[in-house]
Amino acid sequence: MFERRLFFHVDWLLVGAVLLLCAIGVAMIYSTTYVTVPNGPGHPGAYFRTQTYALALGLVALLICLVVDYRVLAEHSLLVYGSLIVMLLFVLLKGQTQMGGQRWIPVGPYHLQPSEFGRIAVALILAMYFGENRRGARNTGDLIIAGVFTIVPLALIAKQPDLGTAVTLIPVYLGVAYLAGLRLRLLAVFAIIAALMAPIAWHYALKDYQKQRIQTFLDPEQDPRGAGYQTIQARITVGSGGLTGKGFRQGTQGQYKFLPVAHNDFIFSVLAEEEGFLGVLTALGLYLFVILRSLEAARLAKDRLGAYLVGGIIGGFAFQVIYNVTMSAGLAPVKGITLPLMSYGGSSLIATLAGFGLILNVRMRRFTN
Amino acid sequence: MSTTTLMPDDRRSLTLRLSFVQYLLAFAFAALAVAFWIFQVAQHERFREMAENNHLRRLPLPAPRGVLLDRNGRILVENQNVYNIALVREQTRNLDETLRTLAMATGVDVAQLRDTVNRRRRDPSYRPIVLIENASFEQVVAMWARRWELPGVIYQEVPSRKYPTGLAAHLFGYVGEITEGQLSRADFEGVESGTIVGQAGVEQAYNRLLMGKEGNRIVEVNSLGRELTKLDEQPPVEGRRLQLTIDYDIQKAVEDAFDAAEFNGAAVVLDPRNGEVLGFTSRPAYDPNAFASGIDRATWAALNTDELKPLQNRALQGRYSPGSTFKMAVALGALEEGIIKPDFHANCSGGATFYGHYFACWKKGGHGSLDLRHAIEQSCDVYFYTVGNMLGVDRINKWATLLGLGVKSNIDLPNELTGLVPSSEWKRETKHEKWYAGETISVAIGQGQVSVTPVSMAVYIATLANGGTRVTPHLLKAVDDGTGWKEAPAPPPQSKIDVTPEKLQAIRDGLWMVVNGGGTGGRARVDRHDVSGKTGTSQVISNLGRLAAARSGKDLRDHGWFVFFAPRDNPQIAGVVLLEHGIHGPNAASVAHHILETFFAKQDGKPLPPPPTHEDLRLDYKDPYARGSVVTGGGQQ
Repeated sequence: MFERRLFFHVDWLLVGAVLLLCAIGVAMIYSTTYVTVPNGPGHPGAYFRTQTYALALGLVALLICLVVDYRVLAEHSLLVYGSLIVMLLFVLLKGQTQMGGQRWIPVGPYHLQPSEFGRIAVALILAMYFGENRRGARNTGDLIIAGVFTIVPLALIAKQPDLGTAVTLIPVYLGVAYLAGLRLRLLAVFAIIAALMAPIAWHYALKDYQKQRIQTFLDPEQDPRGAGYQTIQARITVGSGGLTGKGFRQGTQGQYKFLPVAHNDFIFSVLAEEEGFLGVLTALGLYLFVILRSLEAARLAKDRLGAYLVGGIIGGFAFQVIYNVTMSAGLAPVKGITLPLMSYGGSSLIATLAGFGLILNVRMRRFTN
Repeated sequence: MSTTTLMPDDRRSLTLRLSFVQYLLAFAFAALAVAFWIFQVAQHERFREMAENNHLRRLPLPAPRGVLLDRNGRILVENQNVYNIALVREQTRNLDETLRTLAMATGVDVAQLRDTVNRRRRDPSYRPIVLIENASFEQVVAMWARRWELPGVIYQEVPSRKYPTGLAAHLFGYVGEITEGQLSRADFEGVESGTIVGQAGVEQAYNRLLMGKEGNRIVEVNSLGRELTKLDEQPPVEGRRLQLTIDYDIQKAVEDAFDAAEFNGAAVVLDPRNGEVLGFTSRPAYDPNAFASGIDRATWAALNTDELKPLQNRALQGRYSPGSTFKMAVALGALEEGIIKPDFHANCSGGATFYGHYFACWKKGGHGSLDLRHAIEQSCDVYFYTVGNMLGVDRINKWATLLGLGVKSNIDLPNELTGLVPSSEWKRETKHEKWYAGETISVAIGQGQVSVTPVSMAVYIATLANGGTRVTPHLLKAVDDGTGWKEAPAPPPQSKIDVTPEKLQAIRDGLWMVVNGGGTGGRARVDRHDVSGKTGTSQVISNLGRLAAARSGKDLRDHGWFVFFAPRDNPQIAGVVLLEHGIHGPNAASVAHHILETFFAKQDGKPLPPPPTHEDLRLDYKDPYARGSVVTGGGQQ
């Protein structure tokens, strides 16, 4: 299954950039939880340890997704997709409640969050669907069927409720469909429909706390101590970092909890505070490199399946990065969208690394039959 | 394998689309970089100032823990508000001087204050460190009078645990600040340092339910850390209210009887139909109130070094020989295995010889010839030596285990220990020796290697009372999360045995005769009610060893057991009383009498009996073996 010469086609530059981002993430988690989660004198927090374990597991997942031919994986995409649905149903029925939502399946002392694996499963099945039908995404019927594949897990995740993770499935869909030749006119129609749906969703689908977040984003000064608090604090955190930052573990905003869940949703704000604008440029540069380099893999892909798969995975990834970074600067409403590769969260890290395993896989096998 | 390789046409369109999206993304990232540049470089001064003068503070508001109620809705554990004096280090200029001034004003040892600050030095410096818990009104006034010399020192009103009943210390357990070890455990995820959590008993077992959710107050403070304005408040959410299966009146009767008896020990009282715990004690006890707002070091050290180990929960962790109370397990095994019938007779002449050793009966003159019912009534040792010898150790082990001995009861309290009922396999595994038939003889009367916990004895007698269902003792009856009471489902029984009713009835007849006939449990008799029970006396030391150790000053008096259930035919209460060094079983029956009398008075709607005095119990203090002649074998009643 794995020929030796394939080894030479692994994109080591991409691997290096991904690992560097993971390392920055682990360091920032160490820094933010150092003060607030003490664990014996001089010990790093428990979060740091958990994240390191998850990184090791993620590398194993990456290796597995690299070694097995992606075409073989795609042939089993229905099975992968089916297991995802089963796990999401299980979470809804039996999952552990945390932070006002049911998202977890306990595995020993840790928690598994199946929704994080949704992007991979959906990317696989959509790439398979559009890759095998020989028509691409020009046909509206195909787009609707693929849409159903996306909506089912999306609805299940939104029901948990975890709207942030749920919406990340939409860019996965758009990523695959776009590369498969989605007519741009149709994209415009989508945008119009979305704009028309917004007021309806506002009234019926959104919960009060979600509405509040959007409202306060639009006018944070109006309510500086309620939900606007987070937006203002995010800006203070970022802005007070300056050009070179306050230094590793020297941040005052994230560490002293002016920013809630700093190790999770707001890890990029802490990076901006402690490492300054130069740190931000470095991280943004790495992310951009990872995304563009991955898109090269799509360009080089042997077959439609490979190209679409990369498109789906990178679509979700790029959306998460851009949204989270925007939110970290207080420029987008606060949503539970984490920064992939850097935010605290084992399931997210493992799923993201598995996704990069697939991207490397596509590039590596561009010459094989 | 897929055959959908990309045709040149497709590839061209794909490349075009990819290039477009790549430019788009590069543009988006550039825009983000510009945005960060604006915040971080162009407007840096403004935000730096805001961060430094960040006068918004989040003060944690501790949540009151859930109230505990008894089965009739009577409050067992509640909360009261106390004052804490705390320090926000961020506003302190000279920490040492502040601590010294505060120590002088309040009369607290300055070293202790310094210690507390050191222990919490890793906390964020805006988070208040509690220096004096449960401060007196005078201390608060003294602190407030010198507030200008004490920047950063504040007082907070916080809820604290209160145990008003003075009962059941080990059952409720106690609370304490979360330890560093607990902070890193998954089950305490999201709990901040300094939070009060359950550290023993129900407080620990149901900590998650009881804990509630910490609130926050966002305030604007001046440079001394004094609150200027309250901007936002998220009130804390009180923990869930729990209704326990405990009956306050039964619990009080248990404790009153132990107070009067002046012995240490344990008692567990169950409803044999479902395993609900009605009363539960372990003596000596401690005062859980001492833990509620931080236990002082002297009290903690005293509790830990006390030779009587008041922190030990004897009901779950004390292991004692069951003595004669074990005989029912032997009897049931012999009947069910078909070794004997209830009319099996044995002749007791005051002792008998097995495998070349002479084993005495507790009654020197002997009981003469008796059947099973009378052997239980009289607690004849020779009868059970004989039956136990016929049954063998492994079948004794099997039936004792089915009745709940030597295994965990799985009560919903932490740190339960198991007793031991020996078997040939156990001996082979632990001592690598074979079992000698002669060893079975003392096992048959609950001596030798046999050891049991009081709670497992309660399950044992409840299983005999309800006809073979090994119920799981439990304490949680209902939970109220603020939306009304929800019944907590009773845990399923641990096991169920099919006993032949007539055979079990023979044993139960014997148990009734123990109390109401000429047996050893007459002190537990309650007028117009049918109490059944069995006494047991557990040797602390062999009679040979007793002579040798007589001068060591240790308490060598035997332990007294009484297990009981009532009414005889449709039992609604079952339980165990263990008196540590309580001389013998009949003394334990005296204690049980008050519990049973209270239970029936309550059931009949009569006034409850007053707490007994020491004299009411008419206890024996003469240790029959203290300087007695040396007898091998049992000293059983």
